[in-house]
Amino acid sequence: PEDTVTGSFASFIHAARPEHLSQTVRQRSKRMILDSIGVGLVGSTTRVFDIALSYCRLYSSVAVSSVYGKPGVKLSPTLAAFTNGVATHSMDFDDTWHPATHPSGAVLPALLAASQMLPPSTKPSGLDFLLAFNVGLEVQGRLMHFSTEAHNIPKRFHPPSVVGTLGSAAAAAKLLSLSSAECCHALGIAASLAGAPMANAATQAKPLHVGNATRLGLEAALLAARGMEANPLILDDIPGCSGFSAFYSVYQPKPLPAPGGHHEFLLEKQDIAFKRFPAHLGMHWVVDAALSVRNLFVNYAGSFSPSLIRAIMLKIPVSKYINRPFPSSEHQARHSFQFNACAALLDGEVGLGSFSESSIHRQELRELLHKVVVEHPEDNVANFDKMYGEVALLLHSGDVLTGKCDTFYGHWRKPLSKESLLKKFRSNASHVLPEEKIEAIITLVDNLETLSDSSQL
Amino acid sequence: QIYSSDLSSTIWGHLDFRLPPLYAAFVNGVAVHSMDFDDTWHPATHPSGAVLPAVIALSEAFPQKKKISGLDLLLAFNVGIEVQGRLLHFSREARNIPKRFHPPAVVGTMGSAAACAKLLALDQLECKNALAIAASYAGAPLANAATQIKPLHVGNAAKHGLEAACLALQGLQGNKQILDTESGMGAFYTDYNPQTLPTLQSYPWLLDQQDVAIKRFPAHLATHWVADAASAVRRKLVESNENLLPLDKIEKVILKVPEVKYVNRPSPVSEHEARHSFQFVACSALLDGSMSVQSFNSENVHRPALRELLCKTQLEHPPDNTPSFDSLYCEVRVKLRDGNMISDCCTTFYGHWRKPLKKEDLEKKFQSNALGILPAEAMEGIIETVYNLEKVEDCSVLSTFLSGQSARALPEKL
Repeated sequence: PEDTVTGSFASFIHAARPEHLSQTVRQRSKRMILDSIGVGLVGSTTRVFDIALSYCRLYSSVAVSSVYGKPGVKLSPTLAAFTNGVATHSMDFDDTWHPATHPSGAVLPALLAASQMLPPSTKPSGLDFLLAFNVGLEVQGRLMHFSTEAHNIPKRFHPPSVVGTLGSAAAAAKLLSLSSAECCHALGIAASLAGAPMANAATQAKPLHVGNATRLGLEAALLAARGMEANPLILDDIPGCSGFSAFYSVYQPKPLPAPGGHHEFLLEKQDIAFKRFPAHLGMHWVVDAALSVRNLFVNYAGSFSPSLIRAIMLKIPVSKYINRPFPSSEHQARHSFQFNACAALLDGEVGLGSFSESSIHRQELRELLHKVVVEHPEDNVANFDKMYGEVALLLHSGDVLTGKCDTFYGHWRKPLSKESLLKKFRSNASHVLPEEKIEAIITLVDNLETLSDSSQL
Repeated sequence: QIYSSDLSSTIWGHLDFRLPPLYAAFVNGVAVHSMDFDDTWHPATHPSGAVLPAVIALSEAFPQKKKISGLDLLLAFNVGIEVQGRLLHFSREARNIPKRFHPPAVVGTMGSAAACAKLLALDQLECKNALAIAASYAGAPLANAATQIKPLHVGNAAKHGLEAACLALQGLQGNKQILDTESGMGAFYTDYNPQTLPTLQSYPWLLDQQDVAIKRFPAHLATHWVADAASAVRRKLVESNENLLPLDKIEKVILKVPEVKYVNRPSPVSEHEARHSFQFVACSALLDGSMSVQSFNSENVHRPALRELLCKTQLEHPPDNTPSFDSLYCEVRVKLRDGNMISDCCTTFYGHWRKPLKKEDLEKKFQSNALGILPAEAMEGIIETVYNLEKVEDCSVLSTFLSGQSARALPEKL
């Protein structure tokens, strides 16, 4: 029934056509696809990825789907999706949206895997692929708008594991051309596979949230295609018996308008943030602020001299899982305001190498960490649209130097230029691919709409 | 079946193919909960279905030279049950019939991870990580109860718990305080107060103090009170009416039950809905005298006499009828056209932990379920093996029977 929220989502997924994608949406989503692939490629060099891959290789019979960075290795579609999803989020280098989630990693791997699963006669075109990708993003965004809770940095459930799973189910359902009823059931099945607590953020298990979101969403779509049925009101408000609302304390769902006409994709109005270095998004404000105050300091003192610093004051929003005074692992370091500020101050930049074991444990950095003091100004809201980062150096001389960042470069208010995005992609991909392949991917994604067989990707 | 390589584990009741342990655990877990016929505990969850398929599937995946004994299996199983029970005690919310998350998907996943970690002999650190990883798979909303997906909650609990243990074995690490924090296991509850477990010295197992309920027919536990009360009412009606049920003399059927929205279905259409309907079970028991597996087949669900009786049925929720499997009651009251009222109230149905099934009746249920799927020797083999599990040297005999092979095929294993 189309008058239910769930039904409207199912209809949207089913009825969306390439014509419904605006130019802005196409362009933004292609940037996301490219970045996501790059991040997945460099992610295939991580330890957590190794574990995921070796686990999946046990079960790879109908091995048709490719794995980032591992030429010649194929896995079954859902496990390839899982592994690639883990790679994408392995370094916390993937895109972030508002309301907060990591949208692409939950959708792209499932689509890549599924495209290889379909027989040659029904291979989806690049345009089909781009559409399915956007359907997956749109569903995630719309779901997050059902709860005011979702506007702030999360505390209870990790959003990719909640909305990401349904986004993946929606995207896969679209690519596999499921009927409207099957799309509905895919969402319902996915809901029973969603949800992971925040406590595993900043641990090695966090990348699994994205890996599982994309894998289980694909599984849900495959089960729905085989006739499995779930609650057709899973997204609606059902008092006394929670559906998707189980993941939120406040939940106000609304039906989706039909595609075309009054419907506008959320990506049209709200762009994505791309990260410049592999750490939690919140770190990016603090790093830009630290870099700016570092410049001031270098001008003041001639060079960066830590001995002149009495204290480092960070003004940051309240968010427990990214407030870590002394991180001991790479995962913790990627989720530490203090660490990222100090690394930026010491090195003048933060990049892949900043999170290696030796970098995390070096003496100069630990010394700097001891000087850090944290403050939570009331006006600094834990929200990726409104927060800011401020780093103040309190010198022994009594002078105070301050750097502040409202909008870091890469945020949706100050998007990465095409050159910067390509630079990030080339840098990431070069860890595992030769130059010709790198350039081929760039060209392919840029011309995605004209590709006749998206499994080429 | 699409993803099957490393075919080590049995699909219960199927001789013809095997699956990798992960998928065997999934498929068997789904089977266990497919008819809502599996055990129920207090606080509420379906403990065995989340654990047994995983440990059996896992035990089959060990290399030939490493034998898992019956005692190993029994211990791992109990570890899995105990962990579930302890977690449920961390929240007062858990004492009542759930409203938000389906408990097997929450604690079942953790129990499966614990049991598999035990069987895999993970060290203390790896066990912590297994639990942490499992938490990130836990949880499914209740709205999928009474649909075809509900059985997947148990299947996935078994599968994902096993996966978590395997990932931990490979070295994956999660939050080592996953059970301590609100943003860990606490995410699934509105009130969460975790406690450390007692030391192993004379350990007080929860199963010692609190037994499970075993269902006599495949439907939501709350309907079992209704069935017993309705059967009793039918006996009274029939006695005073020359052994015939006076259907057309029935004006109203009133059920006094606790308020449990997902079991309140006045007019169920599918078998899944019928298994989650106070009204359906009451009318079915009134018509037939007792409930069975067949009560839920399509013919019976749609028969006119039943649909008519359903139209006359209504629910009442007395305030003293709390939605807890430990304290709820059901009263069935039939009002006849001549003004007479016949009623009966059930506080403890036969099969509940306060009135456990006798050995013969448990075996009867098993045999009736296994009939037609396993040959007689395999059936007897399983009963024999399970009763003597502590003495079994190699628990793979259980799997062999489960796949439908007979005793004559494996004299040396016995």
